[in-house]
Amino acid sequence: MIKWMPCALLVLAVAGCTTPRPTAPNRAPSAGSVEELAAAIAADAKRSDLESDARIRGDLAADAGRNADACLAREPRAAACLYGRAIALGLEARAHPTRAGELLKSMLGSLGESEAADPLYDEAGSARVRALVLIRSPGWPLGPGDAEAGLVAARRAAALRPKWPPNLLALAEALAKNGDPSGARENYQHARDAAVALPSGADRDRWLQEAEEALRRPAGH
Amino acid sequence: MGTLLISAVATLVFCAPGYPGGAGDAQPFLDQFAATASAAAGWPAGSLAAVYDPTESGGLAKLASPEAALAFVPYPFFVQHGAELHLIPLVQADMAGIGTTERWTLVAKTGSVTGQASLSGYTVLSVAGYAPDFVRRSILPTWPLAPDVVIEPTGQILSALRRAAAGDHVVALLDQTQAAALPTLPFAAQLTAVMQSNPLPIALVAVVDDRLTAARVRALRAALLTLGHSAAEADTLGQLHLKGFVPPQLPGRAAAR
Repeated sequence: MIKWMPCALLVLAVAGCTTPRPTAPNRAPSAGSVEELAAAIAADAKRSDLESDARIRGDLAADAGRNADACLAREPRAAACLYGRAIALGLEARAHPTRAGELLKSMLGSLGESEAADPLYDEAGSARVRALVLIRSPGWPLGPGDAEAGLVAARRAAALRPKWPPNLLALAEALAKNGDPSGARENYQHARDAAVALPSGADRDRWLQEAEEALRRPAGH
Repeated sequence: MGTLLISAVATLVFCAPGYPGGAGDAQPFLDQFAATASAAAGWPAGSLAAVYDPTESGGLAKLASPEAALAFVPYPFFVQHGAELHLIPLVQADMAGIGTTERWTLVAKTGSVTGQASLSGYTVLSVAGYAPDFVRRSILPTWPLAPDVVIEPTGQILSALRRAAAGDHVVALLDQTQAAALPTLPFAAQLTAVMQSNPLPIALVAVVDDRLTAARVRALRAALLTLGHSAAEADTLGQLHLKGFVPPQLPGRAAAR
């Protein structure tokens, strides 16, 4: 009855959807290149994911929005900037739950544009993030959530970059949401195997942990 | 179950099966509501706690605990579990933008369902599908369903509507918000509302068994019925999409329980 609650009780961990990049130097957004601005947005997303203070999450969302605007001012059709805008909108939705519905719709629009510009950007990030937004958001009519469309997007991401653990994790989550626990389990196993094959690091460890935790859960949970 | 001591902390269990939202997300709003309601009732500070569970089984488990003195549940949950949990209606929710009651609408592929007999072999999918008593007795009291009609819960009503439109043997039972949004779907023309319920309560606050003293119940009821008169209270209610509360006005069968 979360028409009782703000529909936004959909807190999306956007940072978990993005691929880590080198952190941009701390400088005014207008001074950065497209690559630096995209990296700054990814860094904001990662910090936001770890931040419990709502005010700081709001500041990070605002910073990401400024960086996305600056990026688009430089190259309006660049996949990096369109994708960055989508991520910034996701952070804003998390920071301002009462506006989450409209912000997530805009986010999906930006993801569509970035995927059209370069479907492989961020290891098929546009399709992957689209999948996660669609499977984690409240469904019609309260929000843009659509588990079936989310599964389609997750399959697309996994087909484009089949060895990238976040794509396999997203596909597993989408399959679980669509009532296919065995398919979900199979893809959590693939995600674990893919993560093990990567060089060690914090992100690889996080992906590995997510896959292993899912595999430890009883079927159907 | 004995009445809680006056100094004990009573717990208000919010349970809304089928609707999105996690317990952690909802908790700050529930804490604020509990503090506001207990202060308005003149209860000691900290004497009312609130918890949320989005699942039927989780809500039932929480309501079984001795500390669970109050329940804030959708009407379908009340119909399905009110008797076994000894829920006594206290007040009825007045939802922002909807009111105190809502109609439920049965939606089928256009031309496929002409009466209850043609539902034979169908599955009724609904966010309230966890409460078959509610579906059969409250929604469809004049539409006795054949024994082979299956009633199932779904949190993905859009998928249910797609299946119905595609010709699967399913019908979707929509709450008022969902029914109002039906025309926005691209495949809305393939669907028809075949039945609409009478107005039914949306949600209730109920006392669980006799776990509160009569004095505390009276004070809380009076407070809830006037809650929202101040700006701060209205803001607290607004966070839960509530406008206020009214005395319970239940259809005969549920009220008689």
